[in-house]
Amino acid sequence: MPEAAGVSADLSIFTLFWQAHWVVKLVMTGLLACSVWVWAIAIEKFLLLQRTRSAMNKFEQAFWSGQSLEELYRSLASRPNHSMAALFVAAMREWKRSFEGSSRSFAGLQMRIEKVMDVTIAREVERLERRLLVLATVGSASPFVGLFGTVWGIMNSFQSIAASKNTSLAVVAPGIAEALFATAIGLVAAIPATIFYNKFSSEVNKQASRLEGFADEFSAILSRQIDERA
Amino acid sequence: MRKALTISAIGHAVLILWGMIAFVVRPLEANTSESLPVDIISDSEFSQITAGVKTAKKAETPKPLVEKLGEQKPVEELTKIEKKPAIQTASAEPMPIPPEPKKPDPKPQQAKAEPEKKPEPEKKAEPEKVKPAEAKPAEAPPPDPIAEAMKKAEEQRKKDEQKRKAEEQKKKLEEQKRRAEEQKRKQEQQRNAFDPSKIAALLDKQSPRREAATGDTLNQTASLGLPTGRAATLTQSEIDALRAQIQACWNPPAGAVDARELIVRVRLQLRQDGSLQADPTLMNRGGHPAFQIAAEAAMRAIRRCQPYRLPIAKYDVWKDVEVTFDPRDMFRG
Repeated sequence: MPEAAGVSADLSIFTLFWQAHWVVKLVMTGLLACSVWVWAIAIEKFLLLQRTRSAMNKFEQAFWSGQSLEELYRSLASRPNHSMAALFVAAMREWKRSFEGSSRSFAGLQMRIEKVMDVTIAREVERLERRLLVLATVGSASPFVGLFGTVWGIMNSFQSIAASKNTSLAVVAPGIAEALFATAIGLVAAIPATIFYNKFSSEVNKQASRLEGFADEFSAILSRQIDERA
Repeated sequence: MRKALTISAIGHAVLILWGMIAFVVRPLEANTSESLPVDIISDSEFSQITAGVKTAKKAETPKPLVEKLGEQKPVEELTKIEKKPAIQTASAEPMPIPPEPKKPDPKPQQAKAEPEKKPEPEKKAEPEKVKPAEAKPAEAPPPDPIAEAMKKAEEQRKKDEQKRKAEEQKKKLEEQKRRAEEQKRKQEQQRNAFDPSKIAALLDKQSPRREAATGDTLNQTASLGLPTGRAATLTQSEIDALRAQIQACWNPPAGAVDARELIVRVRLQLRQDGSLQADPTLMNRGGHPAFQIAAEAAMRAIRRCQPYRLPIAKYDVWKDVEVTFDPRDMFRG
């Protein structure tokens, strides 16, 4: 512990935390947990979005390479897929089911495929968007929570000052520093949360619109095929 | 998710540890400034300040610094004297010389002392002799030689002492002389050392000398006051008196918007009987529409209240004064 660093160690971060009122302590620990959670989500989202983007790029390359769709489907269907590949697999499965069954039902195939693709898009977007709301909540709420801790701490320290009947700065300062520490933690949690939320939500929107664009294109292709075969 | 959570937790832990180490609170080093003793005094108190030194102790009954009896003269900056010790010693230099002619003085004194003291023991001895002679005539002679011897020894001792004293005096004189010479030499050295700031002092031989502060009673220690203070005792000053008299006749311009613009400065020249020597002259101009009215009011007040009853002894002080008419605080001298 750096408490051994002389007289001034009185106001190290640890002692600031340790001398605070329990409500302030609770606020501080909560905010610290929030900060940890926010960064965890941010790291996870960053990796997920990067992975998704590269997967999409790879799939699009494969899809538009002129390879037969049957072959692509066979190579993808065996393993679990995400985003664009999942969309493709879901649509192809529905198509295949309609063709390979004994009764050929073209009537509602187009509609069915579009439905399936919509559901898949919704699922994929939900997967990308998951926990982003936490970032938004932390970003907007944690300054207030920190402020609450500060107000409580200052209230408390003023009561102590009144009790000690001494108004010298040396008496007033530690309590206030301690209280302000709560706001500092709140801001430390809130600032990255807000930034990450803005960044990731725009990224998710971009990817969702890309998925929708692909779904429209693919459904157009399938619709042409259906019309040709019917 | 777990991986991200661990990374985040580790990152936070590292950050907190770093914070614990790096955020060592350093106490602010407040430079303790020299405290200035501040006395709050009113305007009239300020005008009643006695002549003295700013740093002197506050005496119960303040007395002006007086070194010579006679007409009162304001004390000049007393600190100036200390700044020019060389020239002061120059004027004081002849002072140690007079003792030189005195030099033979101790010897005649000694000589005088000898004849004086010689007869003295005899005189003393005679009554002594007479008294025992009456009681014990036979026994009287024997103590005589012893007494004589004792007296002689005493005389010898006295003589020796006197001689020693004389020698000491001589030594002292010599030392004084030496000191004076040393000072002279120092002075000369100082004079030789070129100091452009002292050219004026060199040119004007008269200025470095300080005139002795004169007053009613001798007082060597300066009391608390200002060098320019004039009041001998704590009485209302002449300006205060004048102010009070003018104020009685003055109708300040009431309800003006910018009272600051309406400050009127007027110069008065008074005769010894307190009447105006000439018409009061306006010393400032103002752009305020009401300024002319305010100026007129001030002039009127001055004309109406004459003659002013002021101490004739201090005519020099109130012969030619400038009075400020400030509607904000009514008046200022």
